[in-house]
Formats: sequence, structure tokens, C-alpha cells
Amino acid sequence: MAAAPQPTSSLQFILGAVAVPRHWQLGIGPIIAAIVLAIIVVATLFAPLYVPHDPLSMDAVQRLKGPSSEYWLGTDAYGRDLFSRVMIGGQVSLFIGVGAAIVSVFIGLLIGLVSGFFRIADAIIMRIMDSLMAIPSILLAIALVALNGPSLWSVIFAITIPEIPRVVRLVRAVVLSAREEPYVEAAIAVGSSMPKILWKHLMPNTLAPLIVQGTYICASAILTEAILSFLGAGVSTEIPTWGNIMAEGRIYFQIKPSLIFWPGLMLSLCILSINLLGDTARDLLDPRLKKREG
Amino acid sequence: MRFKNRRFDDADRVLNIRDLSVSLSGGHQRPILDKVNVTIHQGETVCLVGESGSGKSVTSLAVMGLLTKDALTVTGGVIDLEGQNLLELDHKAMRQMRARRISMIFQEPMTALNPVMQVGAQIEEVLDSHTKLPPREKKKRVVDIMNQVHLPDVERIYNSYPHQLSGGQRQRIMIAMALILEPKLLIADEPTTALDVTTQNQVLALITELQEKHGTAVLFITHDMGVVAEIADTVYVMKDGQIIEHAPVETLLRHPTEEYTRRLLQAVPSLIPRPARERNGAVEVLDVEGLRKVYGIRRLFSRAKPTLAAQDVSFSIIRGRTLGIVGESGSGKSTVARCIMRLIDPTEGEIRVASTDIARLSRRELRPHRRHIQIVFQDPFRSLNPRWTIGQSLIEGQLNYGTSRSEAIKRSGELLELVGLPADALKRYPHQFSGGQRQRIAIARAIAMRPDVLVADEAVSALDVSVQAQVLQLLDELQEKLGIAILFITHDLRVAAQICDEVVVMQHGRIVEHDTAANVLMHPQHDYTRALIEAAPGRHWDFANFKELEPA
Repeated sequence: MAAAPQPTSSLQFILGAVAVPRHWQLGIGPIIAAIVLAIIVVATLFAPLYVPHDPLSMDAVQRLKGPSSEYWLGTDAYGRDLFSRVMIGGQVSLFIGVGAAIVSVFIGLLIGLVSGFFRIADAIIMRIMDSLMAIPSILLAIALVALNGPSLWSVIFAITIPEIPRVVRLVRAVVLSAREEPYVEAAIAVGSSMPKILWKHLMPNTLAPLIVQGTYICASAILTEAILSFLGAGVSTEIPTWGNIMAEGRIYFQIKPSLIFWPGLMLSLCILSINLLGDTARDLLDPRLKKREG
Repeated sequence: MRFKNRRFDDADRVLNIRDLSVSLSGGHQRPILDKVNVTIHQGETVCLVGESGSGKSVTSLAVMGLLTKDALTVTGGVIDLEGQNLLELDHKAMRQMRARRISMIFQEPMTALNPVMQVGAQIEEVLDSHTKLPPREKKKRVVDIMNQVHLPDVERIYNSYPHQLSGGQRQRIMIAMALILEPKLLIADEPTTALDVTTQNQVLALITELQEKHGTAVLFITHDMGVVAEIADTVYVMKDGQIIEHAPVETLLRHPTEEYTRRLLQAVPSLIPRPARERNGAVEVLDVEGLRKVYGIRRLFSRAKPTLAAQDVSFSIIRGRTLGIVGESGSGKSTVARCIMRLIDPTEGEIRVASTDIARLSRRELRPHRRHIQIVFQDPFRSLNPRWTIGQSLIEGQLNYGTSRSEAIKRSGELLELVGLPADALKRYPHQFSGGQRQRIAIARAIAMRPDVLVADEAVSALDVSVQAQVLQLLDELQEKLGIAILFITHDLRVAAQICDEVVVMQHGRIVEHDTAANVLMHPQHDYTRALIEAAPGRHWDFANFKELEPA
């Protein structure tokens, strides 16, 4: 029982010698998810190098065409190439997803560490977090966009703010339980300063749950971006994003469903695989949460 | 010392384990259990003793059919319960077996009971799943068994939740649940380890009483030789998954044949205190005066009564001597230790370390003084950061006080040798060490600060007796070499007798007795001290010399 697994890789070491099982038994699902996600990421990142058309160039003659060798997935109402738009549009969607995840995890981590360790700060910070959580994220986003105009950063900001309290709560909970550990008390006893204890003893405990939480935030941010664009409160309509493309396509849904289908497919595949990988990471890092078999 | 010396040759055999082997699933390592043979007769108490990892618990779980699926598999042998091989039964049949024919009680009754269900209902549940009794009859049976386990005020306890009961009462509830269907075999896995000595004594007496009344066979798993001496008819000694010796209790304690058994018995600390050492050079390094700690008075709206965790605690230690604080759980001994370390803030009183009162200093003001007083914790598995190498843990404190990194590393290597570990341990991680080794590392970390006082908070309580003896020896040697004063906090009178010059006995947050170890243990003045000593299991037996203790 006491035999903790050996940290065979540096990854296992960072994530906690105890938490990661020795044998990483992956099913077929996570592997497919990883491949799908890798393809989507590579394809969107390098999209400018291979897409056949400028995603913004309009051509009134070619509007609402079906798939052809010239336009692989057909064209939209302004005669823009759907394939090019979907691939380029992924860039903004992924950027917002990853950006929101990193920013909210980082800010949440800092606030959570302070909140978990200092009692006075905790009382104040957690009340602020409670009120933040009471704000519906879509409404906040619409308000922010209305104030600042539809820019990439206001969308990231709008998605990040409501996610921060979730991260703070997570980090705080980990810190609250870890600070009772005798090794933290021993560090106090040998005269280590509070910031040092926070960063060197407590922070590493939060990494594993944060990676898992980060994947969920990433997926939900991509989705929220799409919803915001769909509502017309997202990134400005000139920039193609999956949400924007679908929003514009919805008028023509009756005559040309592929305008919604292709960006929607990319969005679903992307979110599905990120969530699946997040679940896998959670199972690997915290075997207690894994569903029992049988 | 009166041992049980009943004979069971004519009694029916209840359990007969033959050549039981258990291995890790899919593993090619040595088996966890290797051809284990155990026989228990009706009315007999068989004690299975051994150090941690010897396979005691795996044996009991195999009998219950509760081996972790996919992790442990039975690779051979027979578990014969009254002529029926339990290993051949399917899940459903095995479930019928449990509670009806075999039942089990565990170490920690708080986790074994459902916290959100009244205990009466939990006992009733056992009846529900195995019998079809009308409600009135059921209640009668439950109240009856609760009376049999001597619970006071049965009506009230019937409707109580586990957290409203004391540890001893919870264990009685567990015993009631285990025995309500009158099973043939009761397995008790360290059932008294989490209890205080006085409670432990009552629970042991209860198990014996009920066993005689119902003729139950008992398989009792323990690491405590004192408990063995009190309760066992027959003793089986396990080591590395094998039964290496078995004999009636008196024979085993008087004439152990195996070298390992002898060593195990010799490691049991004696209750005879060692002679106090000379008080040469009376430099007081720690002086506590009027220490008081009250919990729960600063709440704004709470009407909760403040809890006095410690009050009027005063004592002092001089260089090179050891003061023990003994007491049961809740007596306030750990509160005192944590106040002295300033891990919690005392409500009142003075704590003078190296002639500075540190009781009121702020965190920042305190830091220069921390060096003088260091602590070793109880749990060796949690007191070292699992992500840090031993070297990192050892140099942390030295770096805080301005030692250069290279010098700190050099000194850490020396310290490791001082505590009996190889210097190359610096680059390894805590999980690569055993509990005893980790405790040595924790001690090295503490003395790296060159403290005047070392607080050992139950520092050997989580260790096996043989390892315990080595760590006590180490503390003794270090004290000799470095002249450190030790404040030794323990619930174990045997350990206190072995290491302390003076002993403070605490009850309900107060000191009830303070004298030399010899006086406290041999001529206790206070009733509570006397009760504690009375309750120490096996106190009339000198384990190390295989004979009765000679009255002093």
C-alpha cells in the first residue's frame, strides 16, 4: 500500500510521484482523440500555407456554389471559399480557447494560492469570487463587447472572467488540504518564508488538477466563442471564426446546410477530443475519480 | 501474569487454512502469502502477529473473500470453514457467508460506519440483508446485542450518528454488528490500535467476554505484543508472507524457538523506566510557563462553549535531558507541542527558548528563533515533501539561515551518515525509503538546524517495534553527541519509560503529575496515572527476557 510508484519520467515527477500510475493504460478512444486534435491543430495552424483561396475575397458570381474542384466545400453567400474560411477560422477559435485557458488558469492559480494560505485574504477574495460566479458568462460577454467593441481580447477577457472563480476554488481546496501536511509544517519550523512555502511546497500540488481543469476551460471557451459570434457579440464579423461562419450561414440553412455543417463538425470534433483527453488526463492523474468497472 | 491456557484439541475446528498462497496479479515477484497454514477451533482466540507488510491483513481479507480484485489473486491452497472451501464459493454464496458465518471488525470504526445513518439502523441493516424478521423482533434483537456490548443508554445511542459517539462506543457498535448473527468466526484486524489504552482494555475484555458467551472463534490481528499476551490462546508469527512459528501463547512468550520471534519480543520496550541521567550543568533551554490554549472564542456570532485544549501547563527542560509528555488522545499533549513550535498561537503563557519569550512574537520576528527548536512528526510518509529529493529537504532550513548551498549539501551528507543512512541518499526521493528510514531523514532535517530543543511528536508511534527500538536508540545517541534537549510526546508508556528522564502526565489539558520517569511509572501518585499504567496491556510480562516482570 505504501509502495508509491517510481517516478520513471520527468512528467510523472512534475505531476506528483504518487498520482501517476506506473502503467499508462490508454484505451482506443483517447488515442483517436489525440490524433484528431493533432490533425485539427496542425491543419488550422498551417492553413495560410495551403488554403486555395483568400478567405475574405468575395466573388458575387460564385455565391452559394456546391462543392467543386475549385471550391472544395462550396462557397458562402458572398462567394467566399468555405474550405479556406473554415480552416483559417479555426485559428481564431483555437487561439481563444488556449488563450482563455492559460490566462484563467494562471490568474486563478495566483489568487487561489493566496486565498488558500492567508485567512484574511481568503474571506475577501472568496466573496468576490462568489459574486463573479453569479454573473452569467454570456451576459457578461455581451456587456463587455458592447462597451469595448468586438475585439479578440474583449472576447478572451469575457470568457476568462467567469472561469477564474472555478480555478480559484480548485487551487484553494488543494492548498487548504496540502497546508495541513506535516511537510509544510516542517518547512515552517525550519524558517522558510511564506512565499517560498507557497511556491515550492504548495503550488506543485495544484498542477495536476489544473491541467485537467485547463482542458475543460479550453473546450468551453471555444464553444463560448462560437456562441458569442453566433449571437453577434463575438469577434468582429470580418474575421472568420467557426462561430461567425455558422452565424452567417444560418440564414441559408434551408438551401445550403453545409455552411453550418462543416464549421459545426470541426467545432464538435475539436471540443469532443479536448474533453476526451481531459477525461483521460483526469483518470490518469487522479485514479480515485475514475469510474469503477463492473 | 496469567495467560489463557485452555486446550482446544477436542473442540471443533472452525477455520482451517491450508497452504494458502496469494500473489500479485500478473506479477512475477515473490508471493504475498506463501503456503500459510492456520487452524482455529471453536472458542479459541488466535493472534496473528508480525510487522507491517508481513501479510497479516492479506490473510484475513482472503478469508473474508475481500482481496482487491485484479490486484491480488489466490494461487493455491484451501480455506476450509466448517468443511466448506470458501475459495470455491461464488460471489452470492460468499455474501451469505459474511455476517452469518464470518464477520470482521476493523481498525478505524469511524470510517467503517456510515456517517449519515443512525447506528441502530446500521445494525438493523445487517438483519435486513440476512434474515426476515418483523420490525418489532428486529428492534429487540438490536437492543439486545447493544446491551451485550455494554453500551450505556441504549435507547439514545440507537438513534445516534457515529460522530456523536466516542471511539470506544463506535468500536462497540462495530462489534455488535459483527456478532448479531452469531457468526462462527470473528476476524478482528487491529481493532484496538486506534483506541486509547484504557478504552483498548475495555474492548479487549468485551471481545473475550462475548467470545466465551457465544463460543465464537476469533482471528485477532495485531502488531502489539502486549495485546497478544492479554488475549491470545494461540499465536502465529508471520514474516514476509510466511508463518514462521506458532504455539500457545505462554509457550511462545517463554520459549520462542525462532530467532525472528526472539528479536520481535526483545524489541518490545520495557515498562521499567531507565534510570534518570545526571543533571549536570543546569542550563534551561526550554521553559514553558502558564501555557493556555483555548479554541473557539473569537467567533463573532457563535455561542459555542470555548474548548480548553491546554491550561496552566508549565515545565522546563535542561540541556541533554528528555522530558516526556504522556496522555491519551484529547489530553492536550499535541496542542502543547504545536504551541511550543508556534504552529498554532497560544492564548496565554510564556514559552522561553534560549531565554527569549517566543509566545507573542509575530511570524517575522519569530523566524530568527525558529532555529533553536525543531520538530519530528508522527507520520513518516507525510513529513517529507514527496516531490523533493532528500537533499533538497535537508538543505532547505540551512539555506534559510544563510548557509551557502555547497556547505549545506556537504553538511547534509554528514548528517545522513550521522543518522545511519548512506550519503548518496541525498539524490533520492522519499518514496524510495522505508518508514524508519524516513523518520531518520526527518530527524536529520531537524538537527541540521543545530537546535537546542527537539520536539518529537509521537515520532515513533507509526513504526514497527524493531524499527521503533532503532529510532529510539538513534535519538539517544544524538542526544549524547549533541547535547540536545528532547521533548518527547507519546501515548505509549513503554516508549516513555525507555527514553525519558522526566515524565509529565496530562489529562483534559492539564498536567496531573510531573516527576522523574521512575517515580511516575513505579510510584504513580495520581489516579489517572495509575489507571493508565493499569491499562497497559501485558504490563506484568517482561517480553525481552521471556519471563514475568519482577516486582520492583
